Amino acid sequence: MTERISVQIEMNQSWRYASGAAMERFADGLRQKRIEALRCGGCGRRYLPPRPVCGNCHLHLSEWVPVADQGVVEAWTVVYLPFLDGRTGEIRKGPYGMALIRLDGADTTLNHYLAEADPTRLAVGLRARAVWRDELRGAIDDIRHFEVMR
Amino acid sequence: MRPAAIIGTGQTDHAKSRDDVSQPELVREAASRALADAGLRPSEVDAIIIGNMEMFEGRALPELWVGEGGFANRKPCLKIATGGTSGTSSCIAGFHQAASGVFDIVLVVGFEKHSEGQTQTGMALTDPFWDRGVASGALGNFALSISQYMAERGVTPEQAARVAVKSRRNAAKNPHAHLKDANATVADVLASKVLAHPVRLMDMCPQSDGAAAIVVASAERAKKLCSRPAWVKAATTRHEQPYIGDIDRRLLSMRTLRDASRSVYATAGIREPLKQLDVAEIYEPVTYAELAWYEILGFCSEGQAGRLIEDGVTEIGGELPVNPSGGVLCANPVGATGVIRVAEAASQILGRAGAHQIEGAKTALVTGYGVYAWADAMILGSEP
Amino acid sequence: MIREESIRIPFRFAAGRAGSLFLASLRDRKQILGSRCPACRRNFAPARPYCPECGAEKLDIVKLGPGGTLLSWTEAPGRGVFGLIRPDGADTAMLHRVIGPFEGLRSGMTLRAVFAAERIGHIADLVGFEPSAGGTS
Repeated sequence: MTERISVQIEMNQSWRYASGAAMERFADGLRQKRIEALRCGGCGRRYLPPRPVCGNCHLHLSEWVPVADQGVVEAWTVVYLPFLDGRTGEIRKGPYGMALIRLDGADTTLNHYLAEADPTRLAVGLRARAVWRDELRGAIDDIRHFEVMR
Repeated sequence: MRPAAIIGTGQTDHAKSRDDVSQPELVREAASRALADAGLRPSEVDAIIIGNMEMFEGRALPELWVGEGGFANRKPCLKIATGGTSGTSSCIAGFHQAASGVFDIVLVVGFEKHSEGQTQTGMALTDPFWDRGVASGALGNFALSISQYMAERGVTPEQAARVAVKSRRNAAKNPHAHLKDANATVADVLASKVLAHPVRLMDMCPQSDGAAAIVVASAERAKKLCSRPAWVKAATTRHEQPYIGDIDRRLLSMRTLRDASRSVYATAGIREPLKQLDVAEIYEPVTYAELAWYEILGFCSEGQAGRLIEDGVTEIGGELPVNPSGGVLCANPVGATGVIRVAEAASQILGRAGAHQIEGAKTALVTGYGVYAWADAMILGSEP
Repeated sequence: MIREESIRIPFRFAAGRAGSLFLASLRDRKQILGSRCPACRRNFAPARPYCPECGAEKLDIVKLGPGGTLLSWTEAPGRGVFGLIRPDGADTAMLHRVIGPFEGLRSGMTLRAVFAAERIGHIADLVGFEPSAGGTS
């Protein structure tokens, strides 16, 4: 076969996204280490992250309820495979823990990092609490990770 | 609505890298093969559907560059970009177009060049305010859900490994498969490295380059052109909420797949799936998912999936062969993967599945899966 | 609230059969290649794997150039002048950069292809097209 050429291109772009009012309020809360959910007046489901409408009832959401920064690990894993972070072009190396945590006061689970990379020390049902960064910018990764409460 | 059927299929030989061809050339390979299989010239195609995602290969408007490869110039051409379900959704859209009466012959092509980009990275770039801060791709998401499945139903790594063994061995009979091994064993799977606990390398689907295509025909054309068309008896898709945390006990409950499969079963008169289905091509990105979905699809009751595979029920030669092609575990060019499921199921009914043909297959189930819990389901049959 | 988010991801695209021939020719011979469909009797620029008109895959390679005809052009502020240029011998036009001088640009004008000194097998090996000396058609 004759020569085959490949062309290398790096996608490098930025965008400016509007959050909407609900996410703006949520982000303001994070800057004060406060977590809130939106509760549906129809089915009662308490949603994180905030969104304008309950996807099941189609009702507009407006009732804010407080949520603790700790809760139950409903699912967990330890990731060994490196992951290329598309925001920065940098590689996150394993092992790192991840979990779906149902924070006290919410009905959805939060996908976040766990500060535990030994699978023999992890199980469904453990409790975990947020470890916040020193600098808070109003984003969900203001929580650096969750630590298992032992 | 009028009946419509699949009358031809085509696939590339899926591989880790096809850097000998550009994206449109890859599409052309599959499209040409499907048209040849259907006995049609490109000029006889009325509409084309392309299945592929922008962010997976990092180039805008896939259908712009590759449409020509799919013979789309000056024809109606649409793109469907729905993650893993792109392939099955594209086939269902093609069915809708032919069944509507507006088009007689629809060509559907799905493709992916995994080797050119960073699919896991690209697909994690969803909601900019939430998802991007915490991501580990499809692998991490599945590993999370699997911990719940194991905790609640006691499925074991050995049972999951049997799915990988079935896949590799079946794939040895499939010339299009990327990964194949006629001698694969459970020990091989359990010795492969852990990617994300408890998912091992051989539990997980590969990242493949490949394309697949089908030709859907209206009833009138199908009867003239094909001796054994694969009729679309039922087809539906289900969308879901935006965040993984919205979906409780995802693998265990997947209401989208449950609803979609119940819907197509009802339409096609399937009351006992194990008995009435002759073959199933389901979209299983990881071994544990295939087991969880045996339960959701009604092949067995809750907690019995491990038993089902241990008893060989889903092997070629068992009561309901699942993924005789080798499934997603043996080839995963994402935009094409759903089309491959449809093409493989259709091939069974068309009688063109070669070494992995299930004798006398008359009724087939197809499922598609994408992102967190998007689900597609189809029933193909030998009668209109 | 407005959040600025960036994306940085590397990609590596295969040029394929026809694309590789085209890029290698720019790199090695400073030669623009097109494809001729024997059935349609049309020459397409650049070289491509199949005929856009009839879909045929057995196309002949044709040498195009040394320049082309400017069909239309525009200025992209801050980025330069771009035009649709039909290489000599082709029936179709290519979008590429127009290099100055820009005074007297007119549709139908003859331009000459300009190649980079260092070429790697990339479309930028062909820097653009400039008015040839005395360049009117």
